[in-house]
Amino acid sequence: MALYSYLLVSIIIFTIGVYGIITQRSGIKILMCIELLLNSANLNLVAFSSYNGNATGQVFAIFSIAIAAAEAAIGFAILVALFRLRDTINLDNINILRW
Amino acid sequence: MFGDYAALIVLLPVIAFVLTLFLGKKLYSGGALLPIAAIAGSFIISLGIFLEIYPDGMVQQSVSWFAGMNLGILIDPLAVVMLMMVSFVSLLIHIYAVGYMSHDPAKPRYFAETSLFTAAMLSVILSDNILQFFISWELVGLCSFLLIGFWYHKPSAAAAAKKAFLVTRVGDVLFLAGIVMLYFNLTEIINNPANAFKIEPGNYILQFKTMFEAIPLIDGTQLTYITLLFFGGAIGKSGQFPLHGWLPDAMEGPTTVSALIHAATMVTAGVYLVARTFPMFVATPATISAGVPDSLLIVAYVGGFTALFAATMGLVMNDIKRVLAYSTVSQLGYMMLALGTAGAVLGAQAVGISMFHLISHAFFKALLFLCAGSVIHAVGTNDIREMGGLFSKMKITGTTMLIAALALAGIGIPFLNIGTAGFFSKDRIIEGAFEYGEKTGDMIPYGFAVIAALLTSIYIFRLWFMTFTGKPRSERHSHESPGVMTRPLMILALFALFFGFSQAGFYGYLEKNFELMEVNIAVHEGEAVHPPVLIILLPVIVGVLGILISYAIYNKRMINMSKIISSDNPLYKLLYNRYYEPKIGADLIGVKLTHNVVAQSGEFVDRKIIDGLVIDTIIGNTTFKLGEIVRKLQTGVVQNYASVTILGIALLLVLLKLKFGGI
Repeated sequence: MALYSYLLVSIIIFTIGVYGIITQRSGIKILMCIELLLNSANLNLVAFSSYNGNATGQVFAIFSIAIAAAEAAIGFAILVALFRLRDTINLDNINILRW
Repeated sequence: MFGDYAALIVLLPVIAFVLTLFLGKKLYSGGALLPIAAIAGSFIISLGIFLEIYPDGMVQQSVSWFAGMNLGILIDPLAVVMLMMVSFVSLLIHIYAVGYMSHDPAKPRYFAETSLFTAAMLSVILSDNILQFFISWELVGLCSFLLIGFWYHKPSAAAAAKKAFLVTRVGDVLFLAGIVMLYFNLTEIINNPANAFKIEPGNYILQFKTMFEAIPLIDGTQLTYITLLFFGGAIGKSGQFPLHGWLPDAMEGPTTVSALIHAATMVTAGVYLVARTFPMFVATPATISAGVPDSLLIVAYVGGFTALFAATMGLVMNDIKRVLAYSTVSQLGYMMLALGTAGAVLGAQAVGISMFHLISHAFFKALLFLCAGSVIHAVGTNDIREMGGLFSKMKITGTTMLIAALALAGIGIPFLNIGTAGFFSKDRIIEGAFEYGEKTGDMIPYGFAVIAALLTSIYIFRLWFMTFTGKPRSERHSHESPGVMTRPLMILALFALFFGFSQAGFYGYLEKNFELMEVNIAVHEGEAVHPPVLIILLPVIVGVLGILISYAIYNKRMINMSKIISSDNPLYKLLYNRYYEPKIGADLIGVKLTHNVVAQSGEFVDRKIIDGLVIDTIIGNTTFKLGEIVRKLQTGVVQNYASVTILGIALLLVLLKLKFGGI
C-alpha cells in the first residue's frame, strides 16, 4: 500500500476544509471545517508513522485529537455565548472588528 | 569560632525584620520580643568575636559578587568596638521601647523598622569594601526616613522625614561620586603596567585593603578630591555644617528613634566613614597649611565650627529633644575635630581618640534621649518651659539624666583620672586640638573646642535645671516610668559613669588597627607636647563654670532672662530661628530654587515640549493619519481573513520551493 494514496486522501480532506472556511458563513460550519483540517493533518501523521515504522507520529496524533476535542469544546462554547448575545451565529453579522 | 558566624550579626536582625513585619500582630507585645532577641544575638556574637580576636586578630571573609566587586566582612579593632557599642545600645533602646511604645497601635511596624535600622548600621560597620558600605549606608538612610516619619499622619513628621531624606541625599551623592572617582583611579593604576600593582586572587578592587595599598599610587590632588567627596557623605550623615538641618527636625519621630539615630545607628556612620578611610585622609598632600594634610584640615575646621555653631543653637531651644539634637550635632563636630586635628599631629592615634568619644557619647546621649523620653512620657509635652520640679516625682530619671549631663559636660577630676566617660573622651580631644595648635600655630580649632565646651555645659544644665528643679509649671500629675524603661536607663548610666576608665586600653587597642591592615600612617615626628597645667584643667574649668552659670540663671533666677529672651534681641532671634537655616535651606533652596525654578522649568519642558509638541503633534498626528488610511483593510468578514491567511501560506510554500527546490 503506497503512502501516496493516504496523502491524497489527506490533501482532499484538507482542501475541502479550506474551501469550507472560505465559503461558509455559519460559525458551526467553519468550526467543522477546521476539524477537517486538523484531521487531515492527523491522517498525515499516522500515515508517515506507519510508513517509517516509528510510533512517534501515532502518539502525536492522539495528542492532537485530544487537543482538537478541547479546542472544539471551547469553540462551541464561544458560539453558544455569541448566540445568546446576538441571536445569530452568522459571521457576516458579527463584524465589529471592521473599520 | 564566633568569627565563623560573623554574617549572623547582620542576618539575625534582618530575619527579625521580616518576621516582625509580617507576623508582628500575632506575636507577643507587638513583635517586640523577636528584634530584641535578634539584636541580643548580634551583641553576643560581637562580644564573642571581640574576646576571640583581642588583642591583635581580625576576621576577614569575602565572596565574589560581580565584575571584580565582592561582598565581605572585615572585623578589625575599629569595627569590633563599634559592633559591640551599636548592638548593645540598640538592644537597650529596644527594651526601653517596649514600655515607651506600649500604647502605639503600629508597634509591629516600629519594631520591624528599628530592627532593619540596626541591621543596616551593623552592615555598614563590618563591610570590607566601600561599595557594600555605601549600600548599607543608603539602607540606614531609608530606615531613618521611615522612622522619622513613623507618625506620618502628622504633617510635621512627614515633612521632617522628607527633609532628612533629601538633605542626607546631598551628602550621599557626593559620597557616591567619590566612590566612582576612586574606582576610575584604581582601574587606571591597575591597568598601567608601570605600577606593577595587581590584585591578588581573593582580593577585590573596592576593598579597603586594596584601596589602602593603592594610596601611594593615587595622584595627590585626586586623593584630596576623593577624600573630600567621602567627607561630603559624612557631613550629610553626621549632620555637620552646612547639612546639619535635618537632625533637629528628625525629632518628630518617637523619642526612642531619636535615641537610636543619635546614639547608635545613624549619625555615627559619618564619623565611622572618616575613621575607616583615615589612611586616605592622612595621605592627602599639604598645600594649605604646612604639615597638615588638606583633607584633615577641612575635616578639623568643619568639625570645630559645627561643634561651636550647633552648641549656640542648643542654648535657646525650648523643645527638650531639640536641645539634645543640637548637642549631638555639636558632639559629632568634636569627633570630626579629633580626626582632623589629632590626625594631623598624632597620626593613627586620632582614630582611637575620636572613636572613644563616639562610643562614650553613644552611651550618654542614648541615656539623655531615653531620659527625655521618660520625662515626655510622664509630662506629655516636649516643652521644657512647661516642666519643672520633676525631680521629687521621677528620682531615677532625674538622677540618671544628671549623670548623663555631667558626662556630656565632661566633668571629672584631672590628674587623679576620676571622672565621667565624657571627661576622658572630650578632654583628650581638646588636648589633641591644643597639641595641633602648638605644632602648627593654628589655635582656631582649639578655640572652637573650648568655647563649645562651655556652651555644652550651659545648655545641658539649663535643660536639667528647667526640667527637674524649681516649681512645677504644669498641673499634670507626673509619675516615674515603669521598670522596663528605667532599667535600661540605669545600665546606660553605669556606662556613662565608668566607661571612661577603659581609656588607655581602648587607645592602645585601636592604635593597632592600621598596623593590622598593613597601612603605614606617617606620624609627625617632633617633640611631644606637654600642655601646661592650665590647658589640662581648662576643659573641666569651663565645664564647671557652665554648670554654675546655668545654676545661677535657671535655678536661682539671679538674672532676669525675660529681657534677654525677647524677639527684640537680634542675637536671640538669630539663634532661636536657627540662623535662618530652615528658611535658607527649605524655603529658599528647597521651594524657591529647586521647586519653583528647576522643577517647574523641567515640568514645562516635559509637559509642553516633549508631551505637547513632540508626542502629541508630531508623533501622534502622523500615526493617526496613517491609521486612517490603513484601517480600510479591515473588512470584518472572517472569510476574507481566512482567504488571505491561506493565500499567504501558499505564497510562502511557493517561495520556499523556488529557493530550496525539492519535491
